[in-house]
Amino acid sequence: MIKITNLEKFYRTEEVETIALNKLSMHVDTGEFVAIMGPSGCGKSTLLNILGMLDDPDEGSYVFNDIEVAHFNERKRADLRKHNIGFVFQSFNLIDELTVFENVELPLIYTGVSASERVKRVEEVLDKMQIMHRRNHYPQQLSGGQQQRVAIARAVVNKPKLILADEPTGNLDSSNGNDVMELLTDLNEQGTTIIMVTHSEHDARYSHRIIRLLDGQTVMENIMV
Amino acid sequence: MIRNYLKTAWRNIAGNKFYASINITGLTVGLVVGIFMLLWVQDELSFDKNNTKADRIYKVAIVGGTGISKQIFNHIIAPVATFAKNEIPEVEDGVRVMSVGNAPFKYKDKIFIEDNFAFTDPSYFSIFDFGLIKGDKRHPFADNGSAVITQSTAQRYFGYEDPIGKVVTMGLNEQVKITGVIPDYPANSTFQYHVLLPLSRYNELAYIKSKTTYDGKTIVSSMDADWSSFMCETYLLLKPGASEAVIAEKMQAIHERNRPEDKPVPYLTQSLTKMHLHKADGTDAGFSTVRTFAILAILILVIACINYVNLSTARAMLRAKEVSMRKIIGAGRFHLFMQFMIETALLFVIASVLAFVLMFILLPYYNQFANKQLSLSITNVNIWACIAATLAGTLIASSIYPALLLSSFEPLKALKGKIAAGIGTASFRKVLVVTQFSVSIILVIGTLVIGRQIQYILNKDLGYDKENVFAFTLRGDMQKDFEVVKARLKNDPSVVAVTRASRNIVLNGPSTGDNDWDGKPKNSNMWFNQLHGDENLIPFLKMQVLQGANFTGAVADSAHFLINETAAKEMGMKNPVGKRLRVQTTNGTIIGVVKDFNFASLHKQIEPVVFQYKPKSCWQVYIKTTGRNSNRAIAVAQGLWKNYNNDVPFTYAFLDDSFRKLYTDDQRQGSLFSIFSGIAIVISCLGLFGLAAYSAQVKTREIGIRKVLGASVGRIISLLATEFMVLVLIAILIASPIAWYAMNKWLQDFAYRTEINYWIFIIAGIGAMLVALATIGLQSVKAALANPVKSLRSE
Repeated sequence: MIKITNLEKFYRTEEVETIALNKLSMHVDTGEFVAIMGPSGCGKSTLLNILGMLDDPDEGSYVFNDIEVAHFNERKRADLRKHNIGFVFQSFNLIDELTVFENVELPLIYTGVSASERVKRVEEVLDKMQIMHRRNHYPQQLSGGQQQRVAIARAVVNKPKLILADEPTGNLDSSNGNDVMELLTDLNEQGTTIIMVTHSEHDARYSHRIIRLLDGQTVMENIMV
Repeated sequence: MIRNYLKTAWRNIAGNKFYASINITGLTVGLVVGIFMLLWVQDELSFDKNNTKADRIYKVAIVGGTGISKQIFNHIIAPVATFAKNEIPEVEDGVRVMSVGNAPFKYKDKIFIEDNFAFTDPSYFSIFDFGLIKGDKRHPFADNGSAVITQSTAQRYFGYEDPIGKVVTMGLNEQVKITGVIPDYPANSTFQYHVLLPLSRYNELAYIKSKTTYDGKTIVSSMDADWSSFMCETYLLLKPGASEAVIAEKMQAIHERNRPEDKPVPYLTQSLTKMHLHKADGTDAGFSTVRTFAILAILILVIACINYVNLSTARAMLRAKEVSMRKIIGAGRFHLFMQFMIETALLFVIASVLAFVLMFILLPYYNQFANKQLSLSITNVNIWACIAATLAGTLIASSIYPALLLSSFEPLKALKGKIAAGIGTASFRKVLVVTQFSVSIILVIGTLVIGRQIQYILNKDLGYDKENVFAFTLRGDMQKDFEVVKARLKNDPSVVAVTRASRNIVLNGPSTGDNDWDGKPKNSNMWFNQLHGDENLIPFLKMQVLQGANFTGAVADSAHFLINETAAKEMGMKNPVGKRLRVQTTNGTIIGVVKDFNFASLHKQIEPVVFQYKPKSCWQVYIKTTGRNSNRAIAVAQGLWKNYNNDVPFTYAFLDDSFRKLYTDDQRQGSLFSIFSGIAIVISCLGLFGLAAYSAQVKTREIGIRKVLGASVGRIISLLATEFMVLVLIAILIASPIAWYAMNKWLQDFAYRTEINYWIFIIAGIGAMLVALATIGLQSVKAALANPVKSLRSE
């Protein structure tokens, strides 16, 4: 599904140039659950952003589903993104002014799904995430665990092929964190490819493979058994 | 999708009541004031344009006089219309209108004093859109005894009775029969004559009489043969495609052929549609005021828009997360653009509804204040077009930039909190605040200058004494019995002095170019303002005789003249006393020179004046009271009036009041200006208040850290306040030269004017600083007093 080769990304300020990704190469197959680990500043988030097409690389190749996307413009990337990729963030990033239902509905609105179809699909996914009873609440009225479940619901409602999760349990206690990891595992078992950035060895154990980064390069890969 | 946008927009407004109410208040006030002003402008620009033939109707004027006495006469000689119609093929029709002051009209036991009555030609009803709705359309005036009145006049006089055929008494005993009714004039018509009589009646009754000498000899047979008396406004209806310039030339040729001694006598033509705001020569007669108000209206709307743009872009930072999430989830730029446009539009709808409610409530007061009859009736398409354009323009101006800015966020940066909105556009917002305050300060300086100029005019030494003087016009036999009337008045202890003159000295009066003196240059065409009086007039008004002497009241005085300094200068005479002078039919000698005095408005330079001793043509009585008991003097005059004219109410006016009335427009302009500048400041401060609150909110953490490090409350207040005070200071620097330039230009319209002192700028500057400081002070103090532990934890 994903093949990146010699990917490079620099951050420049007026005085300093920092290399975030240094000729990084890796691949992820369809249906895989990959965890990316490494110390702060190793390039994990940069990699995730490029994989999620929120950012573009300075050098190298990124092939997504056999399409070279490294030099796509913003509009093309956005289009590819909204049909194929769902995001889960550490800080949930729900929209405060919208209810649970409306937050989950939003991606469907932007992809032009009809109203009746939207209701059906949102209810389906809220049911699956077991937060149906909270559908008319606003994010501030929910616990952290519930908010992250809404965020996951929003990430999967468009039935993406890939879910990118950036420390999805970082703001949760261990019990809620485990619930979220179970959810992600379930999604993966149903065929969704998942790439997750994490600091937690515990969470990483849910994955099939751990890629460890240091200074923008792959230093080790562990295959989980 | 739209529903979703609306929902989000509404929740955003409801969730941020503080900012929403600042925005809505600013917009509402801005819209009300902006629309009111634009309606006024539109009304002024619409004058006389309703006439279906407006583009073919031209007013004729004559340029008279040379040097300082050069002036444009809108009331011209009577034959022009007739000759133009008969001799110039491009002229389809012509009409003359002559208003002759007020007159009482009596029906049964009711008396109406008509200020707006005029003599005119029957073509008045066909050239203009003032067609008869009752009566014979082809013959509006059946004969010289006919009159046409407006609908509301008919109702005033006759109630619901049929006005046609009713007979009323005009003046003392002239019978007038109503033969036609026209609809009431639109408020934006220059013509507002409620009673119209045939000009031929004036010719027959008054004109020929006035041109008849005491021994019964008629000097001029009819108005149509009089090429020297300026008395009628004249309008020509041109054939389609005719050139107005050619017409003017042809009229000049006709005039010079009939009266060669007037050569050259330039004619001017002016389109009916331009008459309201321009003089006949195209110079300004109100247009610049209209333009100023249009600019002010737009500036006030801009200030209101700036508030919205400033607050919404400042708060954009807080919405960066939402915007980027929407983008990550799949929103395109267009989606977001639309979302923010709709958000603005919703806020706008709320502000507009409030503005309409306010406008309906305030309109009667505004009409009274601005002397207008504006109405928000559904049928008035122009008004609604004006309102719609204002709303649309303001909406577009205030929505596009914030929508573009917000929708342009790069999701990744925004999500990481690295969004540049706070920093990158801060300078843009500063420019906007400076703009707002510059405009406000300009308005404040303008208000101060206008106020000072009006004070200057009202208190200026005019060169004559108008204190405690009231005047009324003699009527009927009172004129003949003047000496008796005068003696009775002077008998009363409340009366100091009594005199009479041919005109109200405060206002413009008749003038003549028919004059000659020894050594008059060939090319001179100087005009005299004529003032007739008795021997008491000059001492009564405490005018100074610089050379020679005043009239003595002797018979010989009828061949004596006094002139003012300007006249002497214009005539090129150093020692005019004893020189020969002819004015119209009077040949005589100059016996004195009077120190210049300001008659008429101070907008005008002092013009040449000639005094003549003609007690018989003096109908104005001036009464000076002791000042302590004016009412008693008025009562005495009223008692005398009743002896002579029991059927007509007594009217009088104090010279002071008549003088003030000359500046009603200036004073109204001044009041409007001060109100608008006040509102501009309030709106600007609302925006500043919002920005200061926002700035304090954004800087909570910085303030917390500074306090932990030991900064005092005072230092923190100054940290927050300085940022804004610098902007106000820059605004003062920008506004001052602009205001100086603009107000200097405004003052040029006055021949006598005050100076623009430096302290005006200092006052305006300090005022703006204080108001701004008060606005942001509260926010700064609140932020500075906050507990640092709390504010740091909030991060």
